[in-house]
This record gives sequence, structure tokens and C-alpha cells, in this order.
Amino acid sequence: MRLYLRSRALPGTLAALAGTAAVAAWAAWWLVSLPGFDHTARLPVVVFGPLLAAAAVGASLHAPSDELDRTAVRAWWPRRLAHALAPTVLAVALFALALPGHAEEYGAPAAVRNTLGLVGVTVGAAAVVGARLSWLPPVFLVGVVYLAAPSEPGGVAQWWAWVMQPGWQGGAWTVAVSVFVAGTCAYGWRGARYVTGGS
Amino acid sequence: MNPSPAVAVTGLTVRHRRTVALDRLDLSLGPGVHGLLGPNGAGKTSLIRVLATVAAPSSGRVELLGGDVASHRDRTGVRRRLGYLPQDFGYYPSFTVREFVAYVAWLKELPADRVPAAVERAVERVGLADRIDARMKTLSGGMVRRAGIAQAIVNEPDLLLLDEPTAGLDPEQRVDFRELLRELGREATVVVSTHLVEDVAAACTDVALIEAGRLAFQGATDELTALGGESGAPDDSTTHAVERGYTAALRAHRASDVRTSGAHPKEALR
Repeated sequence: MRLYLRSRALPGTLAALAGTAAVAAWAAWWLVSLPGFDHTARLPVVVFGPLLAAAAVGASLHAPSDELDRTAVRAWWPRRLAHALAPTVLAVALFALALPGHAEEYGAPAAVRNTLGLVGVTVGAAAVVGARLSWLPPVFLVGVVYLAAPSEPGGVAQWWAWVMQPGWQGGAWTVAVSVFVAGTCAYGWRGARYVTGGS
Repeated sequence: MNPSPAVAVTGLTVRHRRTVALDRLDLSLGPGVHGLLGPNGAGKTSLIRVLATVAAPSSGRVELLGGDVASHRDRTGVRRRLGYLPQDFGYYPSFTVREFVAYVAWLKELPADRVPAAVERAVERVGLADRIDARMKTLSGGMVRRAGIAQAIVNEPDLLLLDEPTAGLDPEQRVDFRELLRELGREATVVVSTHLVEDVAAACTDVALIEAGRLAFQGATDELTALGGESGAPDDSTTHAVERGYTAALRAHRASDVRTSGAHPKEALR
């Protein structure tokens, strides 16, 4: 078990998550402290912090010995699920703490929602394109949405621009949570797609 | 013949997208060392992966060690008694040989108190005892391959599947490896997929020859050798009688294939 955890680069992932959250907390504090900016300036942190965390989770899903793992006696999907869920829980907890105050506008709830949703996209992507490239689809999604989203929160836009919603918008949460559930299930069922040539 | 063979495959078909890797293959293997021969793309690796329970067949029935691998419970039991060396096996580069083999022992659910001794014995059998605490990333290609063989035998499997095990081994190591194969084949069923006909001649009791997803020949190694007969032409480039047998069996199979089904679809590509 110890060997299993080490082979999945667990220490590195934990460090990456903690680092991301720390940087996010600092960046949020710094942006708010700038003259003429208030707590709404935390938008980039709420979007890109969880994106980095999701990428770290996705990269950690890479299994070097996939072909051998498939001969494991025990069913592998509970391990895969645990592997996807444990760092997500940690990331959610860290981001909940990293952005104190002003919960309704780009605070902890938005960060938690984005973490869940983007981890869902990343983990689902790992099942389709492999763990190594799993960060690409969420980066693309966030890039497009960040540029295209209207500045007014709520409305129809919350369904597709869920990443950009400031707080508790129901549509955004529905999308984020469903994406998370779907992505995690896809990964638990299929595993990361095995890409030959990468050892 | 053993009444319940270790491997009993009937009507096995494996498809990768549109190509057919294995085409209604029937195969039955008992204890001993079986060489699995065939040209590139004949379906050797597809067969080994199905036997290793890594890939699921498109259709057909696969029974291993008396259990049906389609059933979840049987498959669990089979996997404990299975050793598998993939052609291209990944490993975590920072593991030492000891950790890598112990990791696979953990996958096979060997009792934890038996793991250290089993790991040392497996590593010693492949002649890597002096490098047991070296990191995998510092090993040469041949050593990595031997570490791979060590992980495949760590649980003393009843069914051992080796896909191209001699790739990257130097001649001396190959001689040692054949000795190990013969030793393992006394109790277990060993399936060795290889390109190297001389490995088969030296270490295998039986041969199965696969061509375009079908069984072209199965029998004792001596029978394949006998098929080759005497070297005919003086410019014959084969060096072994078994090589001539291999070629003869392949040609005979291709000829009969063309007679029965017209031009073989895969044949045109060759």
C-alpha cells in the first residue's frame, strides 16, 4: 500500500495542492489590497486556482505500471475512485480556507464549486485522453469561458459560464456538481486511458 | 494430456476497432513450456493479453486453471495464480528492484509476511540479486527485462505468460533464462511469445504457431523441427532445422487458407 501511494507520486501531488492553495490565498489577499480593488477582484484567483489544483489531481492519476495494475487480484475501481476523491477533498478544504470573507462574491463557495467542476472535467478527460494530457480540456474550457462570459452574473450564462459565477447561483452549482459526478464515475469505471510509449 | 488443461480457449475472437487480431482461435495448453510463435501482427500479444485477463475478448470462451475468466469470482482466483510479463511494462522509475517486485506481490495479494522472502527468491532466480536495491531507472535494458521476469514469478504462478521475455537480453543471459524456463515448466504452464525461433528450440516443449489470428500449427517442438526436414538448397539462409519447420508450417497454413477462403484479407498486405 505504501508502495502504491509512492508510485502515484502522492507526496508531489499533496505538495502541489497545498502550494496552489497557498499561492491562491496570497494572490487573493494581494489583489484585494491593491488601491481601487475590492473583493470582486478575486475572480482570477477563484478561476485559475482551482484550475491548477485540478491539473495537479489529473496529473497524479498517471499510472506508470498500468498494464500490470490490470492484473491486480482486487477490483481496481474503488482504488481509482479513492485516488480521484481524496485529493479533491483536500483541494476543496484548502480552497474553502484560502478565500475568507465575502462568500457571495468570488469567495470560498465559488472556489469550492470551481474546484469540484474542474476536477470533474480533468478526471473525465483523463479517462478519454490519458492522465498526462488531462489538463488540456479544462484549460481550454476555462480559457474560452473566461474570455466569452458576460460580466453580469446569473441568467442563462450561468449554465455554460459556471466557472465565472460569483457565488451561489443554482445553475452553476448544478452543472459543476454533475460534471464532477460524471467525470469521477467515468474515471472510476474506465481508468485513465492507457497511452503507450510513456513509461 | 491433462484432463483439465491450464489454458482452454474456444472460439476466441479479438477485434481492435476494425481489424481482427484473433479469429475464432481454439487452443488448449497443459503444463510445460509452450512457445508462441508467429509473424509480427499475427495476434501473439492479443492472445497473451486475453490470457493475462488484461483484455476482454470480443467473443469466445476462455478458461484458465479451471476457472472461466468471464466470471468475476473465477477471475479473482485465476489472477492470484497468474504471472504476466507484458511486452512493454511500465514501472515507477524511483522504485528499487525490491520495491517494484514487492509492489506486484501486493497486487497479487501475497500474504504480507511472505512477501520479503518471495521477492528475494524471485530476484535471485533471474540473477539480479546483486542489484536488488538499485533503482529501476539506473538499470540497463536487459536488467529491467529481468526485473520484469522477477515480478512475473514472484507469486510462483501456475500459469506464467511471458511476452517477448528475451528482448534485450545478451546471449549469456538468454542461456540462463532458458534454463529458468525449463525449471519453471516442470510444474507450471508457461507460455512464451517470441520472435526468436532458437529460444523455442532450446527451451520449449511445445509450440503453437499463430498466423493472421489463427492457429497454424500446434505440437511438440520436435514435430515442428521434423517438418523442416533436411536443408535443401545450398543457399538456404535458415540456420536451424526448427527455423525451416517454422517456415514450412507457415507456408502450408497460408496455402490451405487461400484454398479454403480465397485470398486472405490480411495476406494482401504482406
